[in-house]
Amino acid sequence: MALLSNEDREYLKGLFTGMKRDVNILLFTTEEKDFCHFCNDIKSILDELKSISDKIQVKEYSFEKNKDEVEKFKVKRGPALVLMADKDLGVKYYGIPAGYEFSSLVEDIVDIGNDVIAIDEGLLETVKSINKPVHIQVFVTHTCPYCPPAVRTAHKFAMANDNIEADMIDSNTFYDYANTYGVQGVPRVVINEKYHFEGALPEEEYLKQILNSLM
Amino acid sequence: MLQLKMKKQEEKLSEKMYDLVIIGGGPAGLTAGIYAGRARLKTLIIEEMIAGGQSATTELLENYPGFKDGVGGVELAMIMEEQAKKFNTEVIYDRVVSASLLGETKEVHLASSTIKAKAVIIASGAVPRKLKADGAEKFHGKGISYCATCDGALFRDKRIVIVGAGNSAIEEGIFMQRFTKDITFVQDLPYLTAEKILQERIKSYPETKFYLGTVIKKVNGSDKVESVTANISKENKEIEIPADGVFVYIGYTPKADFVSKEINLDSQGYIITDENLKTNIDGVFAAGDVRVKEFRQVVTAASDGAIAAHSVEKYLENK
Repeated sequence: MALLSNEDREYLKGLFTGMKRDVNILLFTTEEKDFCHFCNDIKSILDELKSISDKIQVKEYSFEKNKDEVEKFKVKRGPALVLMADKDLGVKYYGIPAGYEFSSLVEDIVDIGNDVIAIDEGLLETVKSINKPVHIQVFVTHTCPYCPPAVRTAHKFAMANDNIEADMIDSNTFYDYANTYGVQGVPRVVINEKYHFEGALPEEEYLKQILNSLM
Repeated sequence: MLQLKMKKQEEKLSEKMYDLVIIGGGPAGLTAGIYAGRARLKTLIIEEMIAGGQSATTELLENYPGFKDGVGGVELAMIMEEQAKKFNTEVIYDRVVSASLLGETKEVHLASSTIKAKAVIIASGAVPRKLKADGAEKFHGKGISYCATCDGALFRDKRIVIVGAGNSAIEEGIFMQRFTKDITFVQDLPYLTAEKILQERIKSYPETKFYLGTVIKKVNGSDKVESVTANISKENKEIEIPADGVFVYIGYTPKADFVSKEINLDSQGYIITDENLKTNIDGVFAAGDVRVKEFRQVVTAASDGAIAAHSVEKYLENK
């Protein structure tokens, strides 16, 4: 069964038209059945996206079998999606970008395809000037309407600066992992494994939190 | 089944000057968009977060007419949005910072642009009222939640206190049963205020506990919530209820902070309208939860939207 309605397909067709470069999506599935609940669904979604735009390329790997790729793209667990241009941008999804997070996926694809970083110019310089490694983990649930902006801001920062990596983490799929960070409300943003804040902050505040965490 | 939700942003605005700008894309704003579109008014809806507003965080609406088995809050909002767009109403996702409404031409200011219109419908809704108790602020996002649909899944088999016993509180209590059975309601009034059918349903879960006529005084814990202290009013007796999570449903406060001071509000901040939903300012109307009214429901919000759009049409005709 098609997961996207005809209207949605038409909308996406318009959105993806004129993308300048290829968007490479790497899907890492896992043999852990508890985690890969929706893996077949995500495959069908990616197939549909691929059929809408010839700029979208999808490759499938196994988290257990394709050790080289897992290492190369620093994939920590499966299922995962890595979104990249011809080079790695540090943009990842752990768990499936369904529910409200589908919006994040679509917007990431459009930004990467058009080779734009959709951050306010004034802030962009500051983001680019960060010269220490930053790992942002955004814990979400699929049913949280406040979460996609938190994911997108993290991903945009990652696209802007090679020192920044940003993961969406579905707290439902990775419940135990979320628990190790004591996640009790989403979105929860964890920076470099120790510093954290709650809620979808505007980009400027978000960036301040990252800068504070590095001090 | 897997649901995919997408914000469908207009690529660029078609107009420099709209007949009508609707602030808020919940049931009131979207319905106004449907009626205004059909009246061939050039209409723009500005939504800050997601189509549907508060109703989109409701899992299932069982009392919206036309859906005998209920309809998902998000699903209904998505249909309404498509329906409004079908009649050429545009929708953008942005935050309204302020609005200059007194002049003949209304100006709605977004973070990086200004939109002009001949008329405005304010349908910006309401946000959950915050719990006033010691420690409530400290634990926001760390055990205190205002959105069970967002955070419920994080409390599998945990001890939950739900504050309030109105429709939203009981509905969320029923929703939370899939994650945990250890649910305690605490309500300041001495009785449940939800619809009778919801009361019956929640009482069918034998493990659910109720403290009525009881006020939460304090939320306790070191780095996360461990318990709440509450006072049983009648006996003036203090009790401590162990809890890992506290979900708060104690009503709403209007979201009208961006409107100019010139607009008449009641003491709680709700916008005052006449029966045609006109405010005290010419060309400015209000619809849905943001206005003074007795009963705030998706169906009454939708009804407001229709009336407000009709009033705008009349207003523009007579100008």
